[in-house]
Amino acid sequence: MAISIITGGFSVFLLCHFAGAVFEDQVGKFDWRQQYAGKVRFALFDMHVQSSKKVLMATEKNVFASVNTRTGDLAWRHVDSTGPEGNIDSLLLHGQDAVLVVGDGRLLRSWDINVGGLNWEMVLDTGSFQAASFVGHLDSVRYVAVLKKAAISLHYLSNGHQKWLENLPESDSVQYQAVYSEGDGEVYALGLVPNSHIYIVAFSVEDGEIIKQVTVEAPWLSDLGANCVVVGQGVLMCVDVATLSLYTLDLHLDSEMTQIPLQTLELEVSPGFQPVLTSTQPNAAQAPLSEFFLQLGPEHHLLLQLKDNKVVTLRDFQPSLLVSFATTGEKTVAAVMATKNTTACTIILYSADSGRRLLDTTLIFTMEPNGGKPERLYIQAFLKKDDSVGYRVMVQSEDHTLTFMQQPGRVMWTREEALSDVVTMEMVDLPLTGTQAELEGEFGKKADGLCSMVLKRLSSQLTLLQAWMGHLWKLFYDARKPRSQVKNDVTMETLSRDEFNLQKMMIMVTASGKLFGIDSKTGTIVWKHYLENVPANAAFKLMVQRTTAHFPHPPQCTLLIKDKDTGLGVLHVFNPIFGKKSHITPPSLPQPILQSLLLPIMDQDYAKVLLLIDDQYKVSAFPSTKNVLQQLQEMASSIFFYLADPSQGRLAGYRLLTDLSTELLWEVVLPVEVQKILFVKGKRGNEHVHSQGRVMGDRSVLYKYLNPNLLAVVTESTDPHPERSFVGILLIDGVTGRIIHNAVQRKARGPVHLVHSENWVVYKYWSSKSRRNEFSVLELYEGMELYNSTVFSSLDRPHVPQVLQQSYIFPTSISTLEATLTEKGITSRHLLVGLPSGAILSLPKMFLDPRRPEIVTEQSREENLIPYAPEMPIRSEWFINYNQTVARVRGIYTAPSGLESTCLVVAYGLDIYQTRVYPSKQFDVLKDDYDYMLISSVLFGLFFATMISKRLAEVKLLNRAWR
Amino acid sequence: MTSPGGQGGGALSTRGGAGARRMKWALELSMGNARSRVDRQGGQGDVVYPIGYSEKPVPDNSIQETDKNLVEKRCWDVALGPLKQIPMNLFIMYMSGNTISIFPIMMVCMMAWRPIQALMSMSATFKLLESSSQQWLQGLVYLVGNLLGSALAIYKCQSMGLLPTHSSDWLAFIEPPKKMEILGGGMML
Repeated sequence: MAISIITGGFSVFLLCHFAGAVFEDQVGKFDWRQQYAGKVRFALFDMHVQSSKKVLMATEKNVFASVNTRTGDLAWRHVDSTGPEGNIDSLLLHGQDAVLVVGDGRLLRSWDINVGGLNWEMVLDTGSFQAASFVGHLDSVRYVAVLKKAAISLHYLSNGHQKWLENLPESDSVQYQAVYSEGDGEVYALGLVPNSHIYIVAFSVEDGEIIKQVTVEAPWLSDLGANCVVVGQGVLMCVDVATLSLYTLDLHLDSEMTQIPLQTLELEVSPGFQPVLTSTQPNAAQAPLSEFFLQLGPEHHLLLQLKDNKVVTLRDFQPSLLVSFATTGEKTVAAVMATKNTTACTIILYSADSGRRLLDTTLIFTMEPNGGKPERLYIQAFLKKDDSVGYRVMVQSEDHTLTFMQQPGRVMWTREEALSDVVTMEMVDLPLTGTQAELEGEFGKKADGLCSMVLKRLSSQLTLLQAWMGHLWKLFYDARKPRSQVKNDVTMETLSRDEFNLQKMMIMVTASGKLFGIDSKTGTIVWKHYLENVPANAAFKLMVQRTTAHFPHPPQCTLLIKDKDTGLGVLHVFNPIFGKKSHITPPSLPQPILQSLLLPIMDQDYAKVLLLIDDQYKVSAFPSTKNVLQQLQEMASSIFFYLADPSQGRLAGYRLLTDLSTELLWEVVLPVEVQKILFVKGKRGNEHVHSQGRVMGDRSVLYKYLNPNLLAVVTESTDPHPERSFVGILLIDGVTGRIIHNAVQRKARGPVHLVHSENWVVYKYWSSKSRRNEFSVLELYEGMELYNSTVFSSLDRPHVPQVLQQSYIFPTSISTLEATLTEKGITSRHLLVGLPSGAILSLPKMFLDPRRPEIVTEQSREENLIPYAPEMPIRSEWFINYNQTVARVRGIYTAPSGLESTCLVVAYGLDIYQTRVYPSKQFDVLKDDYDYMLISSVLFGLFFATMISKRLAEVKLLNRAWR
Repeated sequence: MTSPGGQGGGALSTRGGAGARRMKWALELSMGNARSRVDRQGGQGDVVYPIGYSEKPVPDNSIQETDKNLVEKRCWDVALGPLKQIPMNLFIMYMSGNTISIFPIMMVCMMAWRPIQALMSMSATFKLLESSSQQWLQGLVYLVGNLLGSALAIYKCQSMGLLPTHSSDWLAFIEPPKKMEILGGGMML
């Protein structure tokens, strides 16, 4: 009874204490969210009404979204599960219905594109998906045909019900790859026995009966989907690179393939290029157009026409980068993009049936200086009032950028879909303003005469005054406008540090190899830089070598990109504020790189030294000036590094020698047959711990074990059986290799998320015994006395720390885990938990405290310890992103700000969300709703009251004196 | 600003009732009364000193022996004052408890401040005790009393937890230890 009262009291106290949610008028004031969809796989313009403003996109991130073409914002978005089961195989659009095949032919879905609602969903029979197509009948599109490896099925477009399902003949030898229909009551399934023959089966739309089966010899053909298209009235057109000829086959007749050598058309293929055919079928109920594109080289396309079994060249486009067909009403046009010069491309429309150039259809596409090349072209054509064709164009670039433009080249919006796949990020302080920098520079320069110094000081003070007046004027001007109208223009010129350093530059590295510099206050992309030739499976490591604190030296960031296949690494050195590549040439790295290490020592230009360890365990330094090498020689005996190799289960520690080679100090081998290393986590370098101990109830101190070299190694059993699986935590000193603590969580398995900070480690695992998610916390203490309070050396720590551990049940699974970070470490810590629902939970570390008592005593109450309860609460006011969910949150980045109470948080995944958190509330800031008016009016009132009463008192005294 | 005549007029008018009696002569033998009146009115110079009045004070030696005893007693009173307050303080201490709130803090402050103040003005007290023959003993008693009072206050502070006697009180001043080694690395990239 007493305990329940106490816990009740505690919860009331906690409720009051941690109510950290935002108020309604604070929404969007300190935070922003950007939503992305991912690299576009299919994009279709909504054409069913002339004035439509939608483009539908299915992406490689398993997202189906509709984007408003006026603004570029997402109208709606559906995020499917990750991995192959949510993979979007096909997107078909007819009228208001978008039909998707999802998960290798597992599901067939129809969406209403206006509101994004699901019309219907059908679970299809198993079998790997090959192709899908609309099937028209009697001049209207009524069915969807889905071709799988061994079967073909026809579904009603209106409700998804299966009309018929037929097994494909000889499906074990024939690879069916395409389905074709032209609205004449037949559906063709086109199959191929590679390098032997083509197999064509025609089904009746009505009942699925096989009308005919044809075998056509084609010993040269190895892939139907890549080499063949259907053009005109059911003519299969294939291209063969070996014989350099086109082959045609009429599907309606049981004929042989006709060979048309390209030489007869006077065409030549670029050496080593695989020709590509492109055709278009504007209406599924009608046959495709007889015009088609043939690409003969990287910059060479031809518009051809099939006429009476003869191929006629309508127009030769050379150079031409990309081509595309677009249809509006009855008109079909061909759009051709050609490079104009190194920075711009032109897009011109041609009439598809004649190859005639359409007047006034030139559009200039200016490529970004550090962007990728255009990769795909999507044309939205429409009929103007005078019946001529107008168009807008969406260009997809190599760097996953979508640019939407209208004539004559006005960019309406761009979407940086690369940001849906952020790999790593850093936050860098913004530089001082020009005037501030000038002031700083004044102190840095040598004195050149008293008079000039005075003049210089006066002039700089004057400029400061001017800047301040300008700032005041802007404040006054903005204050009159409502907040929504205040435009936050962020340009290079206005980028400067604010007084509390709350605005920073976010440097984001994406998997596509595109780097972004984003202003953390508004989310504006300040700069972007696309790195070409970044391999698909590259590993990235971003390091800040020089911050903005060393004016006039520019800040400097270094990105290490390592190709996982070859092991070779490349360094990209750039200025994090402007994104410009540095003029410093990074060293070329001929050897495969294992790891890198950023040392706290600096060269004469204040750049931190980066050490790179190659596969021979030799070390190279960047920058490697004489000064640096000398410093390294002096410091070598205190520089250590560790490497974890999960493939061999090996952890090893090395020491740097003066000749920049290394010496193996220790080695721990975890047998790979039993367990595998998941990850190794050290502490963050920029973390400060204010308090060296914890005050007990009897006012003695329990000192924290703050080993900066401590590593947390997480292992998981290779045996997945729930009875024998386990998760292991190994706390190991990275310098000496001494195992400080070893914990094994039996009957548990991953995914494990871990945070290692101060003197604690928090990790989350799945308990397969109790079938629930559990949090566990480990805290390390030195005891009641400090061994050495002035220096910490791992080599001189004879005592093993005390380890305390406690576990809790967490009601949901989690996606990511991170801890808040503040400037001085005075503010209490919170854990930021990214949940699969997209919410980000700010969980006080106070709840994860192994000293939480089971029985409440006077002392534990004195310490403000919450009584132990196995269940971890989740309160909705702890969600720092209220309803701004972050889809598929993959990482959270925290950075300290200039205010001790405030920590900047960026959550990234499919979306990017930036906000501030105040783990101990804003103890150093006046409240947002602080009543300045009341306080100042009271102050003024009191002031005047004293003045008046003083006067009155004088008068009274005088009167009394007269009496 | 104010004229003496006006004031005198005022004084006259207030004594208008008694004026009739004063017109005749009166002899006041009470010395104190007379002096006070003379003093008050002497400045105006319009009053004649009464009979038997001497401008010089007359030394009075008749009561010196008893005075000495009285002074001694008075000095002991002063010297024992702080000691006498201790039981009272103990009672207040007991009543106010060990919780940290405004009233116990005020009590403790008062209790600590009073002896300190007394010790500061020790020389003034000594001057007071100058006339006593046991001046040094009294001074010592006075000092001990005050020291006891302040010790009591310190004990109270201690029991309230206001004294920085625990290691936790100095925790905030411990600097983070300097790192001797530089460690880096991680999983193989």
